[in-house]
Amino acid sequence: MSINLGYFISEAAISFKRNWVMTFGGIATIFLSLLLMGSALLMNSLVNDMVGDIESRINIQVWIHDDAEYVDIEGLQVALEGHENVATVHLVDKDEALERFTYMTQESPQIVEQLQDNPLPRSLEIELIDTQEIDGVLSLIRGSEEFPLIADPPSDPERALAYGQGIVETLLGATQTARYAGIALVGILAVVSLIFINNTIRLAIYARRNELSIMRLVGASNGFIRAPFILEGILQALVGAILAILVLLAIKSFVFPGLQETLAFITFNFTNALMTEIALILLASGVVIGTLGAIIAMRRYLKI
Amino acid sequence: MSDLESRLDQIVPEPQFSPRANRGPLMISMKNVSKRYVANKAALENVNVEVAAGEFVFIVGHSGSGKSTFIRMLLREVQPSSGQIIVAGHDLSRLKNSKVPYLRRNIGCVFQDFKLLPNKTAFENVAFALQVIGKSKHVINTQVPEVLRLVGLEGKIHNYPHELSGGEQQRVSVARAFVNRPPLLLCDEPTGNLDPQTSLGIMKLLERINRTGTTTLIATHDQEMVNYMRQRVIALDEGQLVRDQDRGVYGNVD
Ligand SMILES: Nc1ncnc2c1ncn2[C@@H]1O[C@H](COP(=O)(O)OP(=O)(O)OP(=O)(O)O)[C@@H](O)[C@H]1O
Ligand SMILES: [Mg+2]
Repeated sequence: MSINLGYFISEAAISFKRNWVMTFGGIATIFLSLLLMGSALLMNSLVNDMVGDIESRINIQVWIHDDAEYVDIEGLQVALEGHENVATVHLVDKDEALERFTYMTQESPQIVEQLQDNPLPRSLEIELIDTQEIDGVLSLIRGSEEFPLIADPPSDPERALAYGQGIVETLLGATQTARYAGIALVGILAVVSLIFINNTIRLAIYARRNELSIMRLVGASNGFIRAPFILEGILQALVGAILAILVLLAIKSFVFPGLQETLAFITFNFTNALMTEIALILLASGVVIGTLGAIIAMRRYLKI
Repeated sequence: MSDLESRLDQIVPEPQFSPRANRGPLMISMKNVSKRYVANKAALENVNVEVAAGEFVFIVGHSGSGKSTFIRMLLREVQPSSGQIIVAGHDLSRLKNSKVPYLRRNIGCVFQDFKLLPNKTAFENVAFALQVIGKSKHVINTQVPEVLRLVGLEGKIHNYPHELSGGEQQRVSVARAFVNRPPLLLCDEPTGNLDPQTSLGIMKLLERINRTGTTTLIATHDQEMVNYMRQRVIALDEGQLVRDQDRGVYGNVD
């Protein structure tokens, strides 16, 4: 077998040299398509992290009017604590509210200094078990008899409710569009790279037509005749895939750390496991594209 | 002395007459074989032929009479439109496509245009045939020089085809066809491009190979050669088998 392997590799190398324009085109399109795919995978993981992070932080706040009776507040709190989807209910009193406000505005202390007395309302802070099932808890609040009594402002109780309305939906909606566009672009580039590989292999078949006809006559097996072309397709795709992986790694190590400083609210958490997974996906996709391109070309141009 | 040369030296005395019935096991059997490339014109029509192992057979006929079609059907390059072909025990119509390469490993073939690769030396051209059926370097390095010596090219094994005469190129191509010791050798106009003297040399070489036991079929319209060799002659005319004669002559195929 050692001689066969040498034979296949030298065949592929010769063909590489012979059709370098097509080969280069094939490698470049595969590189682009896989780079895009890799970036999309990175972005996807980033967005998933962000959504998960935001979702886990979603809770419900009920702003409480200063004149509300403590019994009514406690009544609602007890009712909420009895709900299956409620983890904790915490009453934030006016002092704690001011404390938090002071902390949030610590960079401009004059804001707090200018306050006459404490204008901040009390609130109930409700942490959910499953943020997807928020509606049940909201309707419990809206339906309770205490809510209209304690809501601030009493004239418009709905404004007393804050629960990150639509943040997740907006985020997912925006990324969904980007995701579809990305998938379409990757698809188009994959088709273009298939066309390039198909062409490289077609030229290779044409260049070797004499050899191929002799191979058929002397009884080379079909697998033996096809193998160099498949190998060439795969080799081309692998070079593209490896280039794409290298560029992704470079982006990860040189671009994201800088970005992290400016976008402190997002955590870029690209673990080695994630990068390995993406690299494997890209290599596998490359092999699939390369094999497919070679098979298509052989079906059309290599009569056995 | 190599195994091959000793085989070649035991030249079998030529039988004076060989009645059909006494021939050995069949190498080729064609029954009612017809081939139509286009609907209403037959390239071969209802051909019945049997060739025993070890025979030497000429196939003669005008241009377009179906000689190449005959050869190509034995290689299963073309399939008959009807009829049955059996080569070395394989029923070709039942042979799976994936098995065709293994059939061809048992058939050497030689063509008018030599079909040598211009960028390979004589040695490499012959070696190529072994390489692509997965033979080891060791086998290649022993068998290729030996077969090139057999065809009389021991001094030119590293010459490229453009450094060889037509006759020498055809010898390389015969060497390539024979290097794997196939039981069947098919030649389509092997001397078509050669002068009479060179043609005779090639024909003698093919006859020597035949004496090692290799069944040999030669399609040709080299009248003189056929008359000189006095071997079995099958004549085709417009796809019909019109004559099948032991120790025959080219004859008047009109
Ligand atoms: N691939 C093909 N498609 C259509 N017709 C073909 C094909 N090959 C051969 N033919 C026809 O079949 C007939 C026999 O052709 P074939 O090549 O077998 O003749 P031949 O005896 O070898 O001729 P020559 O002596 O010129 O080589 C001819 O009429 C030819 O035109
Ligand atoms: Mg012909």
